[in-house]
Amino acid sequence: MTKTFKVKVNGGPELAVDATEGTLLEALEKHQLEMHYHCRSGFCGACRTKLNSGQVRYTTEPLAYVRKGDILPCCCVPESDLDIEH
Amino acid sequence: MSYSTFNQEQTNPLTEPMFLGNSVNVARYDQQKHSIFEKLIEKQISFFWRPEEIDVSRDRVDFNKLTDSEKHVFISNLKYQTLLDSIQGRSPNIALLPIVSIPELETWIETWSFFETIHSRSYTHILRNLFTDPSEVFEDIVINEQIKIRANDISQYYDDLIFYTQLWQTHGEGEVTVDGETYNVTQREIKKKLFLCINSVNALEAIRFYVSFACTFAFAERELMEGNAKIIKLIARDENVHLTSTQHILNLWQYGEDDPEMKEIAEELRDEAYEIFMTAVKQEKQWAHYLFKDGSMIGLNESMLCQYVEYIANLRMQAIGFDAPFENMRSNPLPWMNKYLVSDNVQVAPQEAEITSYLVGQIDSEVNASDLGDFDL
Ligand code: FES
Ligand SMILES: [Fe+2]
Ligand SMILES: [Fe+2]
Repeated sequence: MTKTFKVKVNGGPELAVDATEGTLLEALEKHQLEMHYHCRSGFCGACRTKLNSGQVRYTTEPLAYVRKGDILPCCCVPESDLDIEH
Repeated sequence: MSYSTFNQEQTNPLTEPMFLGNSVNVARYDQQKHSIFEKLIEKQISFFWRPEEIDVSRDRVDFNKLTDSEKHVFISNLKYQTLLDSIQGRSPNIALLPIVSIPELETWIETWSFFETIHSRSYTHILRNLFTDPSEVFEDIVINEQIKIRANDISQYYDDLIFYTQLWQTHGEGEVTVDGETYNVTQREIKKKLFLCINSVNALEAIRFYVSFACTFAFAERELMEGNAKIIKLIARDENVHLTSTQHILNLWQYGEDDPEMKEIAEELRDEAYEIFMTAVKQEKQWAHYLFKDGSMIGLNESMLCQYVEYIANLRMQAIGFDAPFENMRSNPLPWMNKYLVSDNVQVAPQEAEITSYLVGQIDSEVNASDLGDFDL
């Protein structure tokens, strides 16, 4: 079953992201966005992204410090439409 | 104030600050004030590796094919990394353990430092393979001007904290005169030294390795010095865990999730913290200049390295609540770096027999009696 949400990055166009198909980071890479990352598993914090609106769910518990209003796209999936700054 | 290896007072570690509260006594982890440190311990230990299991023998052939300027790049980076890990293999223990107040952080510090000693041992492993006698390389580390500048900048914050802690432990608060110099020792003063020290260590873990990492991986992109690259990949993965820990400490302080006095100090010394980071950035760029003084290497030059330092610095500064200082360096100038910094990649390639051998123990322990049912003994 697909669960598709609309994700807006840096004020750009709305991109369709299927929450059942990999992490938010992977989804945005499929849309050809240049993403920041190192570990891709939630401990380094290099993918840190600002969440302007919406909700995400972590599929791996993040070990990097997640400041209020930030998310780590390498280990989460959207739970609603999102507006983010990466 | 003298240190006791087992504080006999009944304390509640759940209400202690990370540092400079009551000293630790029972090493228990069933209850934790900041459970993140226990999680980092688990993560770090799950990454355990041994330098000796990584085959670097082919690197010797590659090394002899390098140009003189490439040899300079390779060896200088190893020297610098040796310096960094020599410092990190002892300093968190010496500077931070005497003042730590919660057991999960105490054990994290010990785990962290221990892994730095693995890094140090791996440099000997690499150098022994390249030179019959690597003494000259090691001996240069305490003579080389470029390295000395960096050594001084990093160790001064540790040394300062260690010295004030020693005065406080032996004399308590107040004025203390040592060798004709008077020091005003207060707990707040020590907390300030601690704050600056953690900022300096954070900058070290955040960017100081990345110029040399980039060179190593640039060689690997040309299929040169690949044994070395495997080792550096493992080191880079560890450094990311260390960095996360210093970012946690700084953020817990500044966002008021630990010691309220440290929150005040974080505000008071914010500019100094910023400067510490920017000095490290500047020194790394100078290092890139020193590396390429006799010529670049294929795929990498001084200006690309400096751009990469700025790119990484942006990410790291934002992680501790600063604005990105290099606005026009938002996109990664060395995209191929990322494939070496991905953590899951570390164990995938089937030809990396040395690394997959870590799985042997795991598989063995899964063999149970029924699997052996057909065996007649
Ligand atoms: S890439 Fe490391 S935390 Fe997301
Ligand atoms: Fe290290
Ligand atoms: Fe480290």
